Order: sequence, then C-alpha cells, then structure tokens
Amino acid sequence: MSDYLVNLGANPRARKAVKLTGLPIPMPQKLRRAEGPWEERPLLGAAALVGLAEGSALADPVAHTLAAAGADAHVAGSADQLAAFAEHGAAQGHPVTELAGEEGPRKPRALVYDATGVTHPRELKQVYSFFHDRLRSLDRCGRVVVLARPAAEAADPFAASARQALEGFARSVAKEIGRKGATAQILFVGEGAEGRLEPVLRWLLTERSAYVTGRPLTVSAGVAAAADVPPTRPLDGKVVLVTGAAQGIGAETARVMAREGARLVIVDHPSQEAPAAKIADELGAALLLADVTDGGTPGAIADLLDERFGGALDAIVHNAGVTRDKMLVNMAEDRWDMVLGVNLLALMAMDEVLVPKMRDGGRMVFLSSIAGIAGNAGQSNYAASKAGVIGYVRALAPTVAARGIAVNAVAPGFIETPMTARMPFANREAARRICALSQGGLPVDVAETVTFLSSPGAAGLSGQVLRICGGMMLGA
Amino acid sequence: MPTKKTTTAKKKTSRAKAAPKRRAVLIGGMRTPFVRSFGQLLKMDTIALGVEAMKGLLERYPVPYKEIDSVVWGGVVLPSTTVNIGREIALDMALPPTVECTTMTRACTTSLYTAAQAAAAIERGDADVVISGGSDSLSNAELTMPRSLMHKVAPVAMSRKSGPADYAKLITQLKPKDLVPQRPAVKERTTGELMGESAEKMAVRHQIAREAQDALALQSHHRAAAAVAAGRFADEITAVDAPGGKRVHADDLIRGDASLEKMAKLRPAFAKDGTLTAANSSALTDGAGALLWMEAGKAKALGFTPKAAFAAWSFDAVDPGDQMLIGPAISMPRSVHRAGMSLADIDLVDIHEAFAAQVLCVLKMLANERFAVEWAGLDAALGTIAPEDINVHGGSIPLGHPFAATGARMVSTMANELVLADKATALLGICGAGGVSAGVVLERV
Repeated sequence: MSDYLVNLGANPRARKAVKLTGLPIPMPQKLRRAEGPWEERPLLGAAALVGLAEGSALADPVAHTLAAAGADAHVAGSADQLAAFAEHGAAQGHPVTELAGEEGPRKPRALVYDATGVTHPRELKQVYSFFHDRLRSLDRCGRVVVLARPAAEAADPFAASARQALEGFARSVAKEIGRKGATAQILFVGEGAEGRLEPVLRWLLTERSAYVTGRPLTVSAGVAAAADVPPTRPLDGKVVLVTGAAQGIGAETARVMAREGARLVIVDHPSQEAPAAKIADELGAALLLADVTDGGTPGAIADLLDERFGGALDAIVHNAGVTRDKMLVNMAEDRWDMVLGVNLLALMAMDEVLVPKMRDGGRMVFLSSIAGIAGNAGQSNYAASKAGVIGYVRALAPTVAARGIAVNAVAPGFIETPMTARMPFANREAARRICALSQGGLPVDVAETVTFLSSPGAAGLSGQVLRICGGMMLGA
Repeated sequence: MPTKKTTTAKKKTSRAKAAPKRRAVLIGGMRTPFVRSFGQLLKMDTIALGVEAMKGLLERYPVPYKEIDSVVWGGVVLPSTTVNIGREIALDMALPPTVECTTMTRACTTSLYTAAQAAAAIERGDADVVISGGSDSLSNAELTMPRSLMHKVAPVAMSRKSGPADYAKLITQLKPKDLVPQRPAVKERTTGELMGESAEKMAVRHQIAREAQDALALQSHHRAAAAVAAGRFADEITAVDAPGGKRVHADDLIRGDASLEKMAKLRPAFAKDGTLTAANSSALTDGAGALLWMEAGKAKALGFTPKAAFAAWSFDAVDPGDQMLIGPAISMPRSVHRAGMSLADIDLVDIHEAFAAQVLCVLKMLANERFAVEWAGLDAALGTIAPEDINVHGGSIPLGHPFAATGARMVSTMANELVLADKATALLGICGAGGVSAGVVLERV
C-alpha cells in the first residue's frame, strides 16, 4: 500500500536529483497528517496570513478561529477588521501583525482570504494581488481558504459572477499548490450562517483535512446547532453506528471515532466475523453480524441500541458497500441487484427505522464515491448506487434539519487500501497521479473527514458532498 | 472545588448564608529563611527544613501537641524513598505518633493547595487543628541513574542464582551512558521546555517589554529590602541552625541595592533575543513554610486569636504547551467570584513572581474582558490592577521560591498584613509547572 514516489519524494536528495534531471516524474509531497486526538490548539505556533476584501463580514469569526486554534495572524485589512483580530489575539495571547504591503513571515501555514465583501468582478483584483504576492511563501502542506457568499444568494448578476469566479480561482489554486502537498478550498458562507463557520474553517486549516482539496463547501444555518461546540473529543459519549466496519475505511473510521470518544455499534456481514470481532474488541464496540440487505437487520440494530445504549443514537455512518464491476452489456442481473441492494436500498431501509430513533443534533454520513460523481466504465451499477446516495442525501437533509440533524456524503477518490493494491499497476499508477496532490489518500483521511462531519461543529454543513480525492481531475 | 453550601444556612440573609457552619481560621504562619540553593542550607534536606518551619510555628503559636489532628504537607522535589515527608517531619518533631499526615504535590501552588485542604478538612469536620505547609530543598534534589542501568543490573542482582560469572558478564554489558546520572532540570515533561522558556514565549506573545519586567523586579527587591529593614518579617521567619554551627536568620536573595542600570546589563537567560534575565526571574531556593489552622470555636477555646480565613479558592489548569503560566488570570478572578466579591472588595493583591514577565502577562489578562469570558468562564474581567499595586512587601524574585513553601509564605505575610495594616481582604495567585494555578481570597476574621 505504500507509494514509492511519495517515499522517494520524502528523501530531499532524491527530490533534488529528480528535479535536476528534469524528468517529468511527479514528486508528490508526503502529506502532514495529525496523529492522536483533536487538539485544543492545532495551529499553535503557526503563522496565518489573512486578507480581507473591503466590506467583508467575517473578520470576527476568522479572527476567533485563528486565535483560538493558536495561530499567529498577520492581517491585511481595514482598521475595523484589524481591531477584531487585535481583540481576539490579545485574549488568546497572539499579537496580531498588520500586513502592509510586505509579504509577511516566511512559510505561513495558512492563507485565508475573506472575499465576502466582493460584489463585482472588477474587485477580484484584490484577491489576485493578495495571493499573487504571498502564495509562493506558503509552507509545504499549507492551507488556502477563500471565504465568499453563496452565488445563489447574490443580489445581482455581477455579484453572482464575482462569487462564482472565486470558486474557479480557488479550484485552480488547489491544482497549482498540490505538488507541495498544500490544499485550497472555498467556503461559501450564507447570510446568517457566520456563527457556523468557525469549526468548519478550523477543521479545514488542520492537518486532518490533508487529502481534501479544491472543494467548494457551503456553510448554512439550516440545521439547528448546539450552543457549545467542543474543540476536543467531539464525539464524547455519542452513540455512533458504523456499517461495514470490519476492515478498510470502515475499520479506520471506527477507530478514529472511538479515539474521539464515540461509543460504537459496528455492523458487518457474517462472513466478516473474524475481523469484525477483532475491531469490536479493540474498540469496545457493540457488534452485530448481519447482512444489511436482510429485512430484519434494521430492527436488530434498533434492538441492539435499546439493549446496549438505552435506545440512544447520535450518528450513523453508512459505510457498508460492495462492487461487482462489469461492462454493462456483460453485467448479469444479480450484479446489479447486489450493488443497488447493499449500497442504496439497504441504507434507506435502515434509515426508515433508525432516523426516528436519533437524538436531536444527530449526524448522518454516507459513503459515496467519485464514481458516483464522474461515472466509470464497468461500474454502471456502483456509480448508479453512489450517485443515488448523493440524491438521497440532498433530499433527506432538509427533512431532518429542524431536529438539528446534519446529513452529508463523502466521496473518496483513490484511497490506498488492500482493494486498490490489487489493481493492475498501470491503472493504479494513473489513479494515484491524476490528482492535484499526485498521490492516493489513506483510509485515515476518510476517517478524519467522516469524524468531522459527525461532530457537533459540522452543523453548518448539510446536504453536501465532500470529496476526499486529493483534487482529482474527474467530475465536478 | 467550589465552596460547599449548606442547606440549613439558607434562612440567614447575609453573604454568610453560603458559609459552612464550621469555619477554618488561620492562627498564623512561620517559615525558614529562603536561601539560594547550594548555599547556606546545603546540608539540610526538605524534611529537615520542614522540621525547622514547623518548630518555629509551634514555638510562636504554642498549641499543645495533643490538640494537633493532622499535618497536610507538600513538596515538589520529593525524595523518592520517603515521599510522605509530612509524616517524617511530624515524627522528627516528636508530634504524637497518632497525628495523621499527608504529603501532596501540585507544583508551585503546593502550599496554597495544602492550606485549602487543611481548611476544607476542618470545615468538613474531619479535624479541629491542622498544620499545613510545604518544603523544598533544591540543593538535595536526587540525581537519578539511567533506567537502562536498573534494567541491566536488577535481574542479576535480584536473582539468587547469579554467580561471579553473571556479574562479570553484567560489567561487560554496561555502557558509559548507563552510568551517567541524569541531570535534574526544571523542565516540562510534556513539552521539554524549561519554565523560563515558557515564560519567555508568553512575554513575546503578550508583548511584555524587558523594561517593564525589570521595573517590577526592582520594585519587588526594594520593597522586600524595606520590609526586612523595618523588621516586618521578624514575626514570620524562624532562624535555622545549619549543620556546622552557622545560624541562618534571613533571606539571602534580596538585593536592596538593585538598580535598573545594573539589571539592564544582564544577558537574556532563556533565549538569545529574550527579555527574561536572572534579575527578573525567581531563583532556585531552599526553604520551608508552615501554617497553623483551627476550627474557629477550637481557637477560642485554646485561647488563640485568628488572623484570617480563606473566603474562597480556585484551583485550575491550562494547556502547558500554550501559555503555561497564565493560570492565575483564571484562578484569581474565579476565587473572587466565588467569594461573592469584586475587585473593589479586594484590599491587597499578592502574586507569586515566578518571572516578572509572567506576572505582567497575568495582570494584562486580568483586565481583558474576552479572556475572562473565554478562559475563566466569567461574565466580566476582574479589572485593571497596576503593577505598583501588587506585592506590597515584594515577591518571589527577591524573596526566593522554594516551590512548595511559597504559598505558605504568601498566606502568612498577607494574613499579618491584614492585621498590621487593618485591611479586610487579600487576593493571592500562583502559577505552576504543568499549567496548574491557584487563586485564594484571604479575609480577616
């Protein structure tokens, strides 16, 4: 499962040698990934450069996010905006430096730009200037986040154009900085959703979002949110159901969620008894061996929840899935039925029983796939099921928002697993390199993302699809 | 550890309704001179120092030994084979063997903590007369041998079957690094930082200038020197006869002739371009301090006049990797809040001077509204306290800082100050290793 080019690239001499030869060999940067549980101050000691367009509205939440995460902010903005940074900085012991013209400190860990004040494409020039002067200095595995208002909420076509332009900008930056392991995202923050921004921005700025890049996300206030968002151990005491958790991404997800305090219920197919029992034992999880397509399974899960956790349920991670690849013309009916049954119909049947049981403030995370977004030859069944998940998530989200339940999907790209290790070399190589970061992701990248989407701080995100793809060129 | 509320007191109307029926009162405190480590008290270990402080206390406040219920002692650098030094001190003092003894450790806040535990035990009804305190002899910190030595030697030494050949083989297996003792250092276990390095970081982050630090250190030295000259500490310090016949009767770190010019010449101690120097930091010190606590009725029955009592306390902790020494900015306002008071009710403020920079950081955050809300969980900041308005008789920079004795020194000096200056309240704050902190409101009774 190890990537020989990432390993080679981690050796500075080899890196230099490849550069000298001028060969078109990609030198992916070894990604910095956080180890251990969520930290109180994940950015302690890191410099963050912040630019704010004139009239931008997010100085206060951005200032608090950075100061509370331990970052030292270097800010270019108006006097009012600087005052917000000074106030939050002082309270956290992080003096704010004004960025007046100069580039700022060397190797900042993050560049954050608040473009919510941009109302016309001609004002985009200030975004260009800010990044043009400073992007080169961004630390390896650094973060770029652009903040904007949603284009759909624009008052006029000019504002809508400017906002949409920022998405194209951020996606391109992601592709440009991928070779240094850095990522870029754009967050569209709806009017009235400013209070939901901090945990989302904070997470994107940490090393836990290592393989998420080039993503547009919308922060909205549609889901009722808890007043108190814990900065650490986000799942403390939460009862979480993870299906298909015996191995691979599901097992890693269960591990990370347990690390953050979740009390787990694990469901996997009876054929997976040995690995499922091992992980349940490791994590102290309740285990149900059942076929998710079996009509009795949802009820059996509900019974297990009643018995072990007094009927409580705080989050569901629909991870169980299968592939039965074949070109459509050669695909036997059972392959279609199997994939649609496990990947789509089963989770709907479970939700029918389990969603009414969920406590307020719950979270649902569905595993979709890049195949469900871009389509893939030989995977018409799989892609249909994973696209079906996306449609389901988008429509389900508003129906449970009033209960404070957020519903999202993640779409992993190429993840280094035993399954992908069995792919033919050329296919695997191609899949690894056709993304901005020039490497595959790890199961832990998906696990960290699912954990974040299951946390109280993810209330600002619902009905969304978050790709964990390293900036893969395929799909939207 | 919130003040325990009693339900029966509800009928009364005043602030006293939250007070327990039993009240722990402070009769007084005594300490040894605080002297530079590896100096005049080199030959006295932490137990010997503790004995001297307790002896001085019981001579000054002669409570019959049989009335003493327990000793709540503390230490930071503890001898590894005799950790419950409180018990050893009581036995060496020839207190009745039935006196119950505990030893606690909570970094530099230790003897505020042992004092609070003594008060709590009395107010719970566990005891009527308690001695609290703490002692530390940095001069007698143990050198530890590498664990690898123990791991190699123990199996051979502890086996009955080992013969000369085994020992010979063992010797060939030992490497030089197994035999080099580990140097003790005031280093954080989790971050590896020296405490001065943590304070240096805080000075940078809160933009505390070297000049302000030196000014506070100077003020503290001058005040301590003036207090000594006026005999102000005579009722708090007991002379110690060191082995060899020398009588040590005074603190030896105070520099009455200190000046800003001299201080300005010192090089930074912890970072190349740093602002912390030997002059604006506290030094390694040996010493001990003891406090005598009684239940109010018991004090009356025994004929003692109490000086003060703890109105409230707050013990807290912060992330040592972030701002390790900022804790008093949380504990001090919390204790004031718990006492049902505001800054206007506080007459004296005494803050442990680990480093002048750290004290100034704490003062800055005590006035910061947002800090009060986000860190201390209070509605409003305690308020602005000028550096001139704290530590009326100096602090740990001139007086020295035997870790576990500093809290007892502060309580003792402030209790006397309440009486001598006819004041009602004093607010105490201490920061400590590991990010722990303490705040206490002392009130006159």
